[in-house]
Amino acid sequence: MQLFKDFINGLWNENPIFRMVIGICSALAVTTAASNGIAMGLALTFVLTCSSILVSLLRSVIPAKVRIPCYIIVVATFTTVVDLFMKAYFPALYEVLGIFIPLIVVNCIVLARAEAFASKVGLARAIADALGMGLGYTWAITLISMIRELMGAGTLFGYRVMGEGFTPWVSAILPPGAFIVMGILVGLINVINRKTAKRTQCH
Amino acid sequence: MNQYARMIIVLMIISMASGAVLALSYEVTNPTIQEQARQKLEQSVLIVIPGATQMEEIQKDDITIYIGLDDEGNKKGIAFKTAGSGFNGPIEIMVGYDPKEGKLLGIEILSMSETPGLGARIQEEAFKDQFKGKSVEDEFVAKQDVEAISGATISSTAVASAIKTSLEKVVEIFPVGGDY
Repeated sequence: MQLFKDFINGLWNENPIFRMVIGICSALAVTTAASNGIAMGLALTFVLTCSSILVSLLRSVIPAKVRIPCYIIVVATFTTVVDLFMKAYFPALYEVLGIFIPLIVVNCIVLARAEAFASKVGLARAIADALGMGLGYTWAITLISMIRELMGAGTLFGYRVMGEGFTPWVSAILPPGAFIVMGILVGLINVINRKTAKRTQCH
Repeated sequence: MNQYARMIIVLMIISMASGAVLALSYEVTNPTIQEQARQKLEQSVLIVIPGATQMEEIQKDDITIYIGLDDEGNKKGIAFKTAGSGFNGPIEIMVGYDPKEGKLLGIEILSMSETPGLGARIQEEAFKDQFKGKSVEDEFVAKQDVEAISGATISSTAVASAIKTSLEKVVEIFPVGGDY
């Protein structure tokens, strides 16, 4: 039950993008096409899960005073591994995500979960939390990128869904579009949360 | 144990383990990465030199020239890389050129970060095709002899002038009508 709670936490209640609003640099930059969103999300989920496992296992070994450098080395190692493997086996994707894969190292979600969660709990809970946070990040940026791709290019995952008469709203795939789409989504999710909070109070 | 000694030892062990993991993944992925880069280069050379099925790389006066050959080993033209500064960053272009005729065979955009929907349209066939058959004598000025993409004059100019600049250097090495 506790594990399930840890997992669900990242998906909704403490969703990194929509609720905590951390790690949004990459979320704003790469979300120009739905496939980029999924790829970036999965890359981050992999790094987050691997580093959470190691941080949780090493939590009694690492001295408190040097914990941050230790975490960063762990995170940087996994990020470089993802970077190299993506470059070798998914070159087309690597070209689009470019600098944002190496930048997972400084994505605050990864360090925040290592510092605030994985370093304090056992392996199982650390994995559940990392998967929840990673997939929470993934669905959030995939949703943003789907909306942006649909409005800005009239396609979804590269397939044309809008009719011939559709005029693409190019701004949606430019940086301002990222802020507008994300702002509206954060607002919508706040409304949903407020509504559900009220309902539970009534009962 | 002295707490400082412990800090140093833990950090050192973690760094060494990290180094080992990185060295291993580099060893595993590096051949594939090199192969991918080579394939991509060869593909772009074969696109800009029609009829070529293989390429040969030569170095002349600091410029790398790729010679396109067909199945029988006949030279079909040469290709060279050039870069211009676009609206958001460098635009890398592969240019196919026929030194015998002094005419361009075609161009291909290798990498760019222009604005989607505007400058990024330099990748469209309609824009690239207009360079086919252009002569070394041409001016390569956007809105004059090169049709610029509306709303993306900077990107169009960058491509045209980058080609012109390197073409002049290449023509010095391989004079028009001469052998190559």
